[in-house]
Amino acid sequence: MLGFLQIVIGGLSQGGVFAAVALGFSLVYRVTGVVNLSQGAFCVLGAMAMYYFQVAWGWPTPLAAAASIVAVVAFGLAVGATTFVPAVATLPISSTLVLTAGLLTFFGGVALIVWGNQPYALPPFSGEAPVSFGQLRVPTQGLWLAGGVAAMIAALWWLVYRTQLGRALQACAENAMAASLMGVDVKRMMLLSFGLAAAIGAASGLLVAPITSLQFDSGDFFTTSGFVAVAIGGMGSFAGAVVGGLLLGVAEQIAAYYVSSLFANTLALLLLLAMLLWRPNGLFAAGPARRVDVRSEVVVHRAPIRLANGRMAGLALALVAVLGVLPLLPLPNGVLPSLTIAMILFISVLGLDVLMGWTGQVSLGQAGFMAIGGYTAAILATNYDWPPLAGVAAGMALSLVCALLLSVVTGRLRGHYLALATLTFGLLVDSLTVGLVDVTGGPSGLVGVPSFGVAGFDFDTPASMYWLALALAAVFVFTLEGGMRSQFGRGLQAVRTDQLAAAALGVNVPRVKLAALCVSAALASLSGSLYAFNFHFLSPEMVATPRSFEMIAMLVLGGEGTLVGGLFGSLVLTLLPTLVQGLAAYKTMAEGALLVASFLYLPEGLFGRFVLWLGRIGAKPANPNGEPAAKAAT
Amino acid sequence: MTPALEIVSLSRRFGGLLAIDDVSFSIARGGLSALIGPNGAGKTTLFNAITNIFPPTSGEVRFMGQSLAGIAGDKLARLGLVRTFQTARVFPGMTVLENALAGACLRARSNAVAQMLRLPSARAEERKLREQASALLDLIGLSAFRDAAATDLPMGAQKNLEVVRALMADPAMLLLDEPAAGLNDSETADLAALLTAIRDCGVTIMVVEHNMSLVMGIADQVVVLDAGRLVAAGAPADIQRDARVIEAYVGGSV
Repeated sequence: MLGFLQIVIGGLSQGGVFAAVALGFSLVYRVTGVVNLSQGAFCVLGAMAMYYFQVAWGWPTPLAAAASIVAVVAFGLAVGATTFVPAVATLPISSTLVLTAGLLTFFGGVALIVWGNQPYALPPFSGEAPVSFGQLRVPTQGLWLAGGVAAMIAALWWLVYRTQLGRALQACAENAMAASLMGVDVKRMMLLSFGLAAAIGAASGLLVAPITSLQFDSGDFFTTSGFVAVAIGGMGSFAGAVVGGLLLGVAEQIAAYYVSSLFANTLALLLLLAMLLWRPNGLFAAGPARRVDVRSEVVVHRAPIRLANGRMAGLALALVAVLGVLPLLPLPNGVLPSLTIAMILFISVLGLDVLMGWTGQVSLGQAGFMAIGGYTAAILATNYDWPPLAGVAAGMALSLVCALLLSVVTGRLRGHYLALATLTFGLLVDSLTVGLVDVTGGPSGLVGVPSFGVAGFDFDTPASMYWLALALAAVFVFTLEGGMRSQFGRGLQAVRTDQLAAAALGVNVPRVKLAALCVSAALASLSGSLYAFNFHFLSPEMVATPRSFEMIAMLVLGGEGTLVGGLFGSLVLTLLPTLVQGLAAYKTMAEGALLVASFLYLPEGLFGRFVLWLGRIGAKPANPNGEPAAKAAT
Repeated sequence: MTPALEIVSLSRRFGGLLAIDDVSFSIARGGLSALIGPNGAGKTTLFNAITNIFPPTSGEVRFMGQSLAGIAGDKLARLGLVRTFQTARVFPGMTVLENALAGACLRARSNAVAQMLRLPSARAEERKLREQASALLDLIGLSAFRDAAATDLPMGAQKNLEVVRALMADPAMLLLDEPAAGLNDSETADLAALLTAIRDCGVTIMVVEHNMSLVMGIADQVVVLDAGRLVAAGAPADIQRDARVIEAYVGGSV
């Protein structure tokens, strides 16, 4: 009994941080309608600032804590004002959600540059000796954490429900348009909520850093745990955030103690998936749900990115020719392997484009299918001597089964919850690849994967693997292009922007979504298998959730809804760190920054912009009286 | 022959508000009927009740003799009942022609794989649909804009495009929610010609409409709602003389 209580206390202190992160989620969600996935990164930034003020520069703890919070809030406000707030105003919610994933990556990248990749722990505020209550021993930092989180909840409650400012915040949450007509500066309120969330994150980060050591990418963990907490408790509910956080903390500790620490995460995620099925709005979603439906129907002007058939064919042939010749040229060291990786990842990004770009279904779990395909093929080929092709096929079959199961959950969900269910799926696969040590080799990975081979021919050189990936990519682009220019593609696009109108025209919306998910899962699975065969090795972090975010960055940078676009995003993000070695440390930050910047400044992507430009210069000769054509003639 | 649409003592309640109060009428096959009434009369609510977006609280809707209870979304369109919405809902990111073609999704006989592999059957079907869509765009005067972004069209043209799109689904009956709202006089005349042409092809049409000259000019049956109740139903000429209708619109005795 005593042992159990001790575990519960440990769980509550862990849950306190989850609750604080969830609180930040709920606050921003209430005011802006967006789940800010970068919330967890504020914890790391807070702890990092605290490390410099307290440990490196020797400031007294209270002063250092205050200075850390101020510093993080200032940084958060600067980033929020230039990225998050403009995005909420101009982008559809799904894009803003993905943009915040980019911010999470960006903050992680900043921490990587400042902190490097080793873990840091801070000294406890009041010594190492735990306090005893009878036979129960509680670390003092746990009490600090509990007190700090309680104080933040109280302060937030007072601010929102007892002050004029809080009423303005609430008005934004209810109806931003009406609030702005009443004279509330909605953008300022959004920024304010973002800043408050940064303060909450920084405070909880520096409170927890003495208990758990943190490193640059711990923000991912806090974001996902806080998100699980808020989804259990109910998005937008403060009470739900706290209860959800504490429940999750206790459940994880109990699972870690009685089952296995490797599976603690798995159980929490299964709990969440069950929750999404049973009660998608969470435990505490009192009153009517936020009218996401209305906001999501804000029509976004998107130029159709189309090339005439002839030009498309010419461009495609030229592209395949150039890419095909590349391995024969004297390339700098390391470029060919990078090209191979870019091409393999592009196959997965292509699937993501069908799902996200063409059907509008945000998926944050694409790497999950890569992992399924990669591990299935690699395990079957390595441990059971299956022919690689059979392994690939088995991986794709398993991915399709998982896609079907996932669609049972996501079929009932919309907007945010859909994206978050895919994130949960990705995290679940992550936790299994780490946890199933006997099958996957666990965190240290699976070694000795053979080369890919068909009918006696082994793809065992970088060039052969590259040509294989290029050929597959070309075939997929060609077939998908055919589908997109037919009724199949039009059904996807109809679902992308207006599900109600699509259904009224007889489009079977759930079936269209399922078809897109299956295409996407199959391509990701194939890409994951090739990835494992290419490296002769597969470890969980090669196909973990940050990879999903990276592939979204590739897609958005290259151009959503263009099929070929993803290739350019994939080439840029894979080749740049190889070509400019000094940039390697900045890779993570650059990925995040590029994703955010392309959403804000290049929404049609590199390839999309190129096609629109081609369209403009192509339009000129059609107008014989036009000035530009006449000038060109002289 | 059973009527195209039968509304049998249909009511719809929102909390304490009875938005549709025991309304019954029927629409003959092949006709062009108009649903009119002052603001707040419940016209759009009736459309939403028929299409089960807000299912009826009580009463029944029968389409071609079949009850529509529990049939919503794409299944309605598969039965041949296609509706448009009060505000233009063209698909952004698609061209005008693609928008029209999107209406024919439920008619595609070739499957996705055949389309991806560009099999002859799929290409023949695509050609046929394109010809049909082009002809309809021609009829409504939009063929010059077929490759423009649909959202670049003026509002009136977007609403006409929506009618074309609905027509591409090859419906037995069209429910059009205020197709003439936001249209200028010449666009309204185009629409009137289009609606008459559609009716002459054998498609039953019901429109919700405020534009009286359009309604009285082309409808062969008019249904009048006021405050959720059926006021009158009949030929346009009779409706124009009906004292109850005048009362509902003008608000006093004549």
